[in-house]
Amino acid sequence: MVSVTVLFVGSSLLASLRRAEREINERYGVAAKIRAHNATLPFAGQQWTSVERDLAASDIVFVIHVTDSENALQIAGALDRYRERHRAVVVINCLRDLMLRTRMGKLDLTGRSTAAAPGVVRRAGAWMASYARGRTKQHNGRSPERYLKYFAHVPAILRIIPARGRLLDSKHYLTLFSYFLQPTPANVRSMLLYAIKHYAAVDGRRIKLDPPETRPVVGIYHPDAPSVFPTFKAYRRWYESRPARPRLDPNRSIGMLLMRTQIVSGACRHYDYLIRAIESEGLPVIPALSTFMDNREACRAFLVNPDDQSPRVGQLLSLTGFSFVGGPAMNDSKAAVQFLKGLNRPFHSVVNLEAQRIEDWIENPIGLNPVQTAMQVAIPEIDGATDPIVFGGAPAAGDQPEPIEERCRRIARRLARWDRLRTAPKADIRLAVVLYCFPPNRGNLGTAADLDVFPSLFDILRRLKMEGYGIDLPAGPDALREMLLDGSRSAGDAPAAIAHRLPADDYYRLCPYVEEIELEWGPAPGRINSRGRDIMIHGVRLGDAFIGVQPTFGYEGDPMRLLMAKGSAPHHGFMGFYTFLREVFRADAVIHFGTHGALEFMPGKQAGLSGRCWPDRLIGDFPNIYVYSVNNPSEGSIAKRRSYAELISYLTPPVENAGLYKELASLKELIAAYRQAADERQREYLFEAIREKAADLHLEPSSEGIDERLPVP
Amino acid sequence: MTPEERDRLVLRLYDNLLDIEQRLIPTGLHVFGRPPGDAEAADMLRMVASFDRPEFGVRSLPGLVARGLGLPAYEVLLAESGSSEYRLAQRERVEAVVRLAIERFLTGGGEGAARLLAGEANVPVDESLAIFRLLGTIREQLRENGELDALVRAMNGEYIEPGPGADIVQNPGILPTGRNTHAVNPYGIPSAVAFRRAEAVTASLLNRFLQERGRYPEAIGMVLWGMDNIKTQGEGVAQALRLIGVEPRRDGMNRVSDIEVVPLDRLGRPRIDVVMTVSGIFRDLFAQTMELLDRAVRKVAAMDEPPEMNFVRKHAEAGAREDLAFDDAAARVFSNSPGSYGTNVDVMVADGQWDGADEIGKLFVTRKCFAYGRSLEGREARALMESALSRVEVTYQNVDSAEVGITDVDHYFEYLGGLTKAVQNRTGERPDVYLSDSLAPLGKVRSLEELVRLETRTKTLNPKWYEGMLKHGFRGVAEIERRVANTFGWSATAGAVDDWIYDEIASTYFLDEAMFERLRSLNVHSARSLAARLIEAEGRGFWAADEAVSQRLRSLFADLEDQLEGLAR
Repeated sequence: MVSVTVLFVGSSLLASLRRAEREINERYGVAAKIRAHNATLPFAGQQWTSVERDLAASDIVFVIHVTDSENALQIAGALDRYRERHRAVVVINCLRDLMLRTRMGKLDLTGRSTAAAPGVVRRAGAWMASYARGRTKQHNGRSPERYLKYFAHVPAILRIIPARGRLLDSKHYLTLFSYFLQPTPANVRSMLLYAIKHYAAVDGRRIKLDPPETRPVVGIYHPDAPSVFPTFKAYRRWYESRPARPRLDPNRSIGMLLMRTQIVSGACRHYDYLIRAIESEGLPVIPALSTFMDNREACRAFLVNPDDQSPRVGQLLSLTGFSFVGGPAMNDSKAAVQFLKGLNRPFHSVVNLEAQRIEDWIENPIGLNPVQTAMQVAIPEIDGATDPIVFGGAPAAGDQPEPIEERCRRIARRLARWDRLRTAPKADIRLAVVLYCFPPNRGNLGTAADLDVFPSLFDILRRLKMEGYGIDLPAGPDALREMLLDGSRSAGDAPAAIAHRLPADDYYRLCPYVEEIELEWGPAPGRINSRGRDIMIHGVRLGDAFIGVQPTFGYEGDPMRLLMAKGSAPHHGFMGFYTFLREVFRADAVIHFGTHGALEFMPGKQAGLSGRCWPDRLIGDFPNIYVYSVNNPSEGSIAKRRSYAELISYLTPPVENAGLYKELASLKELIAAYRQAADERQREYLFEAIREKAADLHLEPSSEGIDERLPVP
Repeated sequence: MTPEERDRLVLRLYDNLLDIEQRLIPTGLHVFGRPPGDAEAADMLRMVASFDRPEFGVRSLPGLVARGLGLPAYEVLLAESGSSEYRLAQRERVEAVVRLAIERFLTGGGEGAARLLAGEANVPVDESLAIFRLLGTIREQLRENGELDALVRAMNGEYIEPGPGADIVQNPGILPTGRNTHAVNPYGIPSAVAFRRAEAVTASLLNRFLQERGRYPEAIGMVLWGMDNIKTQGEGVAQALRLIGVEPRRDGMNRVSDIEVVPLDRLGRPRIDVVMTVSGIFRDLFAQTMELLDRAVRKVAAMDEPPEMNFVRKHAEAGAREDLAFDDAAARVFSNSPGSYGTNVDVMVADGQWDGADEIGKLFVTRKCFAYGRSLEGREARALMESALSRVEVTYQNVDSAEVGITDVDHYFEYLGGLTKAVQNRTGERPDVYLSDSLAPLGKVRSLEELVRLETRTKTLNPKWYEGMLKHGFRGVAEIERRVANTFGWSATAGAVDDWIYDEIASTYFLDEAMFERLRSLNVHSARSLAARLIEAEGRGFWAADEAVSQRLRSLFADLEDQLEGLAR
């Protein structure tokens, strides 16, 4: 029995490894046990115990793509401990410390520098190092050539290495690597078999191997097509020839970036579902294979018209989970932003669970684990990406990614809403603007850090009207504010005018979450933002714009709720407000106005929200444009991750030196006189005056390290 | 008193005045899409010019002037001007040249200003020109506000460029605004610069305690937010690491992935126990960093060192004697339950929903007692948090911003005040409360009381500030009311507000009839809240008001109520 352990990263390899094990045993008659572990997260506890047990019992070890230093360190340690047991250790695309554990026959990098390796291996190693670190040299790559080059490179080297002698093991290493570069199920099987044939204690002569299958390196994929299209032209011919499909309208098509390894290894059910979900919203798609370290290459090849550089897509949706330029661990956001600015299309980056099973994500109260949040959310944000929504991942019982259907539909519908903003006549667009009032008191209407809300809002409405939106503009900022305040005359402690009364019966009919809210807040309409049987919607209607006032969390006057350790569902008034925007006013987009509101802090996962998280339910499919202070990137990030906001930063107010005023200014003058006075008696006299004035001003000198106090006169 | 003693007192008083005079304050509110007036930019530009900015290839202007004049470094002048007339005069000389140069820049452009600096202070033209190029860019970017265009473009479904978030003085790279603000790569925290800058602040903090108490504090309760740690690339985190006596380590991919313990002989002082209360936002944005902080504490707790030099270990062992598992006794990173945010102390205080003295601290612990780190993952751990808090002698928070002060938002009293109350509940006495001013060149540390006074003098009572707010009418009154409500928050949570502060607020806004009429006519609702807040301060015993003042307030409040009744009818 040959024992092989494979430590790998990501979600695309597992299915192929499992299948390979079966085929090797059944078809090739080699008794082999393939043990696979996903090393995306640091191994800990039980899992590490089982990894170590497998490593201790393995003839051959593959370590692939491990760039997490904690994992690298512990894996390297274990490789050293079981060195005697292993007949071959094959390390591919890992951190340097791990690469140096590569050991196959005469090729032994242990304890040496890479410089000691044969030149051919060194060259491959250098490429891998740059691949692992994602470091790319500055280049203005006009074509995907550079990326393609890597794939052509290895087989070219292989051809010139003799199949015997000193370099034999190096040739084996590169052969394994070239199987790995095209991780089709057959190539993954061949990679394992090849290592077994040459390094395990079996009769290798019986094992016959296929040369590496090749797959296109770049291209356009579609689940309904027989193969990947090498050119946009070919794709378009096929796509538009099918009667049910829309034309590839350059203003509307969704340009998608897919991970090539998932396509090559056939692990693409999650892609297929999302593609079809988007198409079922009536949007055409162009799903291009990502050029991994630099997606400008894929975009230039397929998503931009080479004749005039105009985009072929209306929106860009990245499914890679990596930075746009730079690969998995680096991000050249400057280059990315420059390119995306030129493209000038919304850029969304959605998340496939690479280091978490679907069930774990569902059950985990934080949602995405920290490694994925950093890599797949925080870094794409720096490229300007929005909508960090989870669309797929491997279930506990399966070995390849599956779609999370409800999330895919959310993504598709949100794309459709953005598409409507992009393409519908402005006069047909309905816009909701949400203001805050916190603490809830009419005097606080228009709460926003550092922003004078009413003149700001008025200027925006005036500008949007000029742009063609159907807005009934009030006479001025004060008039706008008075309209909002006025109706509160007869409204008890209501924060603002009542724009609409949403009958509880309608609310029950329109909102699918009422029963869950009732568990915490009792039957609708409840105590807050309600009168009689109605939910009160505060705000004013200005033609196709609705200016609303967001309800608060509802803790005021409710000590019990205030004291709860965890947040509770939004109250009926809060949910009713957004239900009104969606179902009654039928907004096409929402502008949240000023730093900051309550929606994005409602209970739910921290990142990678599910359909059960309240912020996701509240914001739903609305494009969410958020006017936000530039000096609050932290709370702003919560709005981006938990309510899919696109922030439009605003400047903070001018700052000046505080200066001195009233008696403080006279004190300074007295001190100036004291400092200039040469006469001792005059100084004494001035000192008395200073002391008195300082005491009047409650000033006593106090600063670091001062132990005496000015005596009180 | 000898003349020398007298001189020393006057100098220190003067230093205090300069602190007030030179503090940056916002003077008004922003209107979306509108550029600020140019006259308002001089102080801000001078402040921008007073930092070394290697990212722009620019050195601090006061630094260049001091050097050109053959004086000691500007930091030295700042540090010594409170105790030496000689240094004070030198500092004033430097500042006068800088002021003149900025004025010349604003009226005559960078070249004229550079020539002036060369003539007055021997500053090499190429070095000063680099500064003025940066200032020129800032000025241009301020003049061309693109926020409205950006909003229209977002509505059109176009790409909105990302941009960093910070105070303009901290990072002029936030311009132009109208961009999609982003956070930072959490693996980069803390940056090397942040770790270096943290040294001065932690030294000031410990020295301050040392001078007042004659020993080091054994445990510090620290508040960590996402906001300052994003804007400063992790200065707050770096301070916590330094207090514990560890250094961050970076891996082959330049990610902060581990820590290394600084040996005691190099540290030269005991390791301070740090109890970290982390905002829900920090928890979300910096999960890796929370793990790193937790690992740092555990590593230090396991060091075989004498207890008087390693308070982390000392306390973990003490905790273990209280029947906690040693591992549990070393839990030091606490935040909200997963997916929840905030302490609710702000609402409790704003809404007056507390009676007993311990309720605020209890609420803080209820909301914040979820322990984080490897294997804890947000487990509710009230007993662990209370045990850790029971040893805290100082509560502390890093303040990075000139724009967001401790009376500008309710979050400061909600967190630092809430933590202070929670400690007081455990120990029976209020801990010393300190805040740092990490924008200040010397990493200044102030007591809470000092900072409340400074904020009050520079903002709430300062005509420059409140007239700036009142230019905005309705919203301006609400802003004034918020400052007073937040000041009240410091009474409620930390008893840190002097009587005279409330006296002066009442006198400025209510006893001055013309002012009262302005407030009432601009925003009667907020005027009413403001009066109610002062009355509540007196009622709760935070303010020993003069009887006549109290009467007057009540009668004005009744007037306002009547007016609102009339409105409602």
